[in-house]
Amino acid sequence: MNLFFNQLINGLHVGSIYALIALGYTMVYGIVKLINFAHGDIIMVGAYTAVITLATLGWSTPAALFSAIVACVVFGVLIERLAYKPLRRSPRISSLITAIGVSMLLQNAALLVFGAQPRPFPTILSMPPLRVHTLQISFNTVLTIVVSGILMVFLQGFVQMSKTGKAMRAVSEDYNTAQLMGINVNNTITTTFVIGCTLAGIGSFLYCMAYPSVYPTLGALPGLKAFIAAVLGGIGIIPGAMLGGFVMGVAESLTKAYISSQLSDAVVYGILIIVLMVKPAGLLGKKMSEKV
Amino acid sequence: MKKRTKAILLNTIALLAIYFFTTILIANKGVNNYVSGIIITVLITIIMTASLNVTTGLLGQLALGHAGFMAIGAYASALFTRSVGIAFGLSLPISLLLGGLMAAVFGFLIGTPALRLTGDYLAIITLGFGEIIRVVIENLEFTGGAAGLTRITRMSRAFSSDTAVSTAVQFSIVFWITVVIIASIFTLGRSRHGRAIISIRENVVASEAIGIPTTRYKLLAFTIAAFFAGIAGGLYAHQTGILNAKIFGFNKSIEYLVIVVLGGMGSITGSIIASIILVTLPEMLRGLAEYRLIIYSLVLILMMLFRPSGLLGTREFSLLDFWEWAERFFRKVFKGKTSETKMPFTPRYDVWEEKPVLEICRLGISFGGLRAADDVNLCLMNNEIVGLIGPNGAGKTTIFNMLTGVYIPTDGDINLLGKRINGLAPHEITKNGIARTFQNIRLFKSMTVLENIKVAFHSRMHYSTLSGILRDSDCTSEERGIDIRARELLRVFQMEDVADAPSSSLPYGQQRKLEICRALASNPKVLLLDEPAAGMNPMETTELMQTIKTIRNRFSVAILLIEHDMKLVMGICERIYVLNYGKVIAEGTPEQIRNNPGVIAAYLGSADARPGSMGGLAHA
Repeated sequence: MNLFFNQLINGLHVGSIYALIALGYTMVYGIVKLINFAHGDIIMVGAYTAVITLATLGWSTPAALFSAIVACVVFGVLIERLAYKPLRRSPRISSLITAIGVSMLLQNAALLVFGAQPRPFPTILSMPPLRVHTLQISFNTVLTIVVSGILMVFLQGFVQMSKTGKAMRAVSEDYNTAQLMGINVNNTITTTFVIGCTLAGIGSFLYCMAYPSVYPTLGALPGLKAFIAAVLGGIGIIPGAMLGGFVMGVAESLTKAYISSQLSDAVVYGILIIVLMVKPAGLLGKKMSEKV
Repeated sequence: MKKRTKAILLNTIALLAIYFFTTILIANKGVNNYVSGIIITVLITIIMTASLNVTTGLLGQLALGHAGFMAIGAYASALFTRSVGIAFGLSLPISLLLGGLMAAVFGFLIGTPALRLTGDYLAIITLGFGEIIRVVIENLEFTGGAAGLTRITRMSRAFSSDTAVSTAVQFSIVFWITVVIIASIFTLGRSRHGRAIISIRENVVASEAIGIPTTRYKLLAFTIAAFFAGIAGGLYAHQTGILNAKIFGFNKSIEYLVIVVLGGMGSITGSIIASIILVTLPEMLRGLAEYRLIIYSLVLILMMLFRPSGLLGTREFSLLDFWEWAERFFRKVFKGKTSETKMPFTPRYDVWEEKPVLEICRLGISFGGLRAADDVNLCLMNNEIVGLIGPNGAGKTTIFNMLTGVYIPTDGDINLLGKRINGLAPHEITKNGIARTFQNIRLFKSMTVLENIKVAFHSRMHYSTLSGILRDSDCTSEERGIDIRARELLRVFQMEDVADAPSSSLPYGQQRKLEICRALASNPKVLLLDEPAAGMNPMETTELMQTIKTIRNRFSVAILLIEHDMKLVMGICERIYVLNYGKVIAEGTPEQIRNNPGVIAAYLGSADARPGSMGGLAHA
């Protein structure tokens, strides 16, 4: 039983990082219907910023966190303005390929600048693990779960209640009508990217605390998994991304513990396929059929 | 026909020239192993991208797991040649076919559930399947596990003790397999089956409505693409001699997708050109070492920014256009053979004068608690023009949707020519003789006017997919037949002169007319027109009334039309049904309807139109 709970908590730990990253995917998808393949590499940008400010420059943890966020936001907004915005009226596949191109560019630029050698991420928190009954939970885990939880609740509130959030939802429903209602669509989309990248910045920090090694393709795998989490929960839906992230994380860590660590990816994809077969628009998605 | 003979000849000459040049070069050690390896990789990439283009370009469905099928083909064929004890020259072709078939089987099994989804969800589910294939291969005992398969016979070594000769043989094999695959994708794309597949990309609802079994064609395209990918996998396995499932991951699928998009989705020649460029580009940039992939990705981004639809868009590169000057010479040498022309069908002139062609009894449908249609009785006699009117939301289009199989009625019967058709799929109903147009025009926009009509002939044609690929006499004679029928049909509506224009370039009124024309091409007994005059100016409406009368005079068809334009309804309908709140509230001649107090109340509103309802004008 102890093993089970340990794995469950590990799953929630990874899952909440997936969820944070998935939010970035889901929000961008919701508003511009683009699978932002470069989002995973934004994580990598954040991770390198963090490792350089912490280890090389010797900044304090909050300053490093802040600079990671700023770096993510700057990259995210630049990518949006330079690469995605000109393609807003083109076929969606073109923006998808552009996103793939941007992702490759970021990875290879990082390879060129930082080299392939992984850099260790310093330990920034050395708190004793928490003991609950017979369970040992590391402080990192608790911190990650709590921080992501708070961020998600905050984000959901923001999107549902604030004026900007309403604008975002309007643009995502109908781009043109939103424009006619006096919403500055360009600013709204940029805001979405800013929020997504802020979460990515925080996510990258938490990810490095869990897996303390930074390398150029670091973002690819969590990026892909987070994206799948977003689809699993119902892409474009904020609570869906959270749910998807948790399901992914838990499924992954339980498979690793009980079935086989090699097959964990297969099991995760298998869950995705089954969910999509039963609920084609994801766990929380609503199916829209075309009106004839 | 002469033009086609010419095209075939030109292409053959070009292919032979490329083939002999390259073979001689390789056999005489004109290029080293590295270069000949790249040439083979280019050819395999061409097969992969052209086949992916069948799903992504022609069918219009994004698939992200194409490398998975390549992996299945590669492993199946490698395991076969490794385990059987027959000569490689014999086992190789069998193994390639086996690889293709295995991939096709998996394509079919995966496609059956996956193709119920569309768009990004389909993309993700194919990604999922592709990754599962990779992970499973990595963990199976007989596929060599994570270490992979080694000691696979290599084509560049197996055929001769002289490496250069063996490499030349390898080139011949891969080259001609590629040619055959590309040629079959081309002929498939131009057959009725290809038209059906493209029509799904253009507008799936209209495609189903004119009688295309869309699910079947989606699956067909997906399976064919998997089959070719499997063959490419088999070639790859016997090129490299070692297999490791890792390389068939998500990134490989993406790599092929990138090439397809850069070449232009739907353009097979675009895929070929892009394969050549994108495989050789990184190799040529090798001197730049670490900058190479940065340049590659920048090219990708810039290319998308400045040419979002790819190199060729959906167009095809044609040698014919390049070699126009040869025309006179070739015409003299090759005379087009004439063979008989097979008409796809004879129009139905069967008489249904006594009984109604369409009879609806006590038809009803509920959406949750909402009763959108209730106890609707309606009948249509042959060659009759009947109007279906009613205020907005009365349930008119709902009835059309039930008649055409878009909705399944909760109760009641629909009898068409004496046969009960409730619950049949839309394309089956179309086959049985109901055709429709839509409130908002749904043409196959990138197809020409003539092709739009030809798609609708689909269910009346018989030649098989294989005939289509081989272009045998079954196919060509039927194709010629429908060309004649389609042009005939266009002539009736004075649209013959725009036959080869893209349908999206027509003015609004003409587009409506084309949609009606297309519906007639499926040879219906009942034609349903959903607000044909919507958005038309008075002149266009007058022309439309003329068109509808022409249809009645020239075709043996009953017409049921929904329309708000009373001038049109009162002008041409012989009988009118009035619908309100899902119920028929009146039926009769235009004169009777005009004076029916219930109808006036429904349209203008009154206290007794419906208990408790807030009337509009009457209260004002």
